Amino acid sequence: MLKMLNRAALAATLTAGLTAGLMAATAPARAETTVNIVGFGAGFAWADLFGPSGTEKTQKLLDFEKKEGITVNMEYADEEVARQKVLLDLVNGTGNYDLVMLGSDGAVQTFSAAGYLEPLDGHLDKAKDYFDAAKVYKPFLEANTVDGKLWALPYYSFGPGVVYRKDIFDKYGITTFPKTTEEMEAALKTIKAGLAKDGITDVYPLTMRGAPGEEPSLDLAGFVFAFAGYPAWFEGGATTPAEIKAKKAKPIFTGDFKKGFETFVNWAKDYGPPGIATHTWVDMMNLYGQGKAVVLLPSAINGFAGIPGSEVPAVKQFSAYGPSPIGPSGKPIESFWTFSVGVSNFSKDKDAAYKVLAFMTSEPVMEDFATQIGWPYTTYPSIMHGPVLTAKWPKETLDGVEAAFISADPHYFPYIPELNEFMDKIGTAASEAIAGTKTTDEALAELQSWAEERMERAGYYK
Amino acid sequence: MAIFNDWRFWFVVPMVLALGTVVLFPSGYLVWMSLTHWIVTDPERYFDGVGNFRVLFRSADFTSAVWVTLVYLVASTALMVAFAMGLALALSAPRTPSALRSIVIMPLVIPPVVAGFTWRFLMNGEMGFLGAFLLPGLGLKMNMLADPTGAMISVVIADVWSRAPFMFLIFLAAMQSIPRDYYEAIRLDGANVFQEFLHVTLPMIRPAVVVALLFRVIDAINTFELIYVMTKGGPGRATQTLALFGWKSAFQRFDFGLAAALGVVMVVVTTVCASIAYRRFLRPAT
Repeated sequence: MLKMLNRAALAATLTAGLTAGLMAATAPARAETTVNIVGFGAGFAWADLFGPSGTEKTQKLLDFEKKEGITVNMEYADEEVARQKVLLDLVNGTGNYDLVMLGSDGAVQTFSAAGYLEPLDGHLDKAKDYFDAAKVYKPFLEANTVDGKLWALPYYSFGPGVVYRKDIFDKYGITTFPKTTEEMEAALKTIKAGLAKDGITDVYPLTMRGAPGEEPSLDLAGFVFAFAGYPAWFEGGATTPAEIKAKKAKPIFTGDFKKGFETFVNWAKDYGPPGIATHTWVDMMNLYGQGKAVVLLPSAINGFAGIPGSEVPAVKQFSAYGPSPIGPSGKPIESFWTFSVGVSNFSKDKDAAYKVLAFMTSEPVMEDFATQIGWPYTTYPSIMHGPVLTAKWPKETLDGVEAAFISADPHYFPYIPELNEFMDKIGTAASEAIAGTKTTDEALAELQSWAEERMERAGYYK
Repeated sequence: MAIFNDWRFWFVVPMVLALGTVVLFPSGYLVWMSLTHWIVTDPERYFDGVGNFRVLFRSADFTSAVWVTLVYLVASTALMVAFAMGLALALSAPRTPSALRSIVIMPLVIPPVVAGFTWRFLMNGEMGFLGAFLLPGLGLKMNMLADPTGAMISVVIADVWSRAPFMFLIFLAAMQSIPRDYYEAIRLDGANVFQEFLHVTLPMIRPAVVVALLFRVIDAINTFELIYVMTKGGPGRATQTLALFGWKSAFQRFDFGLAAALGVVMVVVTTVCASIAYRRFLRPAT
């Protein structure tokens, strides 16, 4: 009898075990929201969330994940690789990445027009605890606004300005900071003559970027804006597809665009280092940091980036910030950019993706970023005037950088889907003119002819 | 079909399937893309016939890239052959220490990206050892990477440094397989070293030279990383080869159709070159 009972108990246990096992195996896994991101700059961007190697999860991020029930997966890659991953993911509509890294100088314009991004206006109120649009500098949002809709939130961002060596300015008798492009050119001329007189051959009056491709175009477009007084790319200053189509506005690269382009090229040739036709932002940063350049403009942030790691004491001691020079039109040389992040239109959970985005661009995260890099740049006025940056920078520097943000016109170049192509062609034309393979007129004539054909092909003048 | 009843056929099937997957499908896809209007800035994607090819052949970028690729191909190949041949001749003697050969082939294991960075820093006109110190010290004031000719010379030098060891290995193997008797015979006839090279070495290693040249041509047409890292195709378009132009078309200008059309052109050109070389120099006589 006991044996029978034992057998029955054993059978019941086995049956129960098997049933439980089967149920566990066939039951749906606990639902968990996952948000995938691709970006660049491991150890630089969001180091407070993903650690210095980009492969960890800090307590701050773990707390967010726990609170919101969202798992955040970050994939860092080299900048070019990350851009390619974003492009391929969006073009194929795979939705592997919920959040995609963009930029306000082409990607936002192109991808929004192609329908690859989710407009964020409807999401802004959903995660206000993390990101409140009213608390950030407006121009950084405007830079990511196309056709009246917001497509991305700003992370690392900057406006125009000049970083220069005050000791060298003083040495050559430049006691007043040059306010206009004319005065800046005179100052550069004086510095060049002074350096030559002193037999200094490895320090150059100016460093900018002239590498082929889109690299110089952000700054070059700023020169065009300062000289023409408007985004002089298309007739009548048309900056949107609707305006271009309505006015049948033709490109004007051999027209009002020319003066700014010419000045950019001439300054680079006359006052820049010999290798400037291949220089990227990294080269201009390094050159300034090594004390081999006196002035860096108009993307002053690259100068600030070069100062902390500099081994030249004078660079750390005597570097100063000045506002971007005003051109003959009364407008300053612009250089305005945001490294922004958008929600993929192919994301399976856009609300969760937006929540993560709002967290990643929130005030505490940006404050940690400011603490980490220490440059006087941030998207929040509260951080600009907060303890982190005021402890590090003089008030006039912070006020100057802030004034450049506030007064900037982020739309100083056209917001058209073809912007990326134009940026690439314009930068390459500048590089050719700086290197001397083409004259300014030849480079602009080729650019004009390409642009006319391209716009015709895109159906703007039907 | 009788072929399906032959058991040997089924042994070939996996290989055919594998080839179809890894070679034929991507190639077919490339051709399809080249005939499609596919540009991110335009939401419409449609069959465009030879539209992309028309745009490509009219483009100043394409003309410039063809010219740059030709200059790069000829200059780097000529230098590489001379350099690799010289090294192979010098190091082919049976008693040459193997350490010397190992040193010569070292650059081969360095990835082109790393080689590009190394040469970029060496040639840098502001702080590079060669560009800022050695060359100016020798009286050459030109900034190598910022000058159009200097940039081309720089990428050719870097490429030769990086890729010549592969050619050297092919030449060396061919030279070591030449029977010693031939040299003894020609020496008995009173030939000097130059005549030995011209009448024994060169004819005997001719198939190896053709193979090396074939590899070289394909490699040069497709070179991307090294030039991208060193000059990004600049200054201007001075070093923008076809491969760089293709990459730029796809990933900077988002024109996939145009980039695919360029890819098709490059495949056709390399295939034609390879076929001519094979038929002319390698096909066994019948």
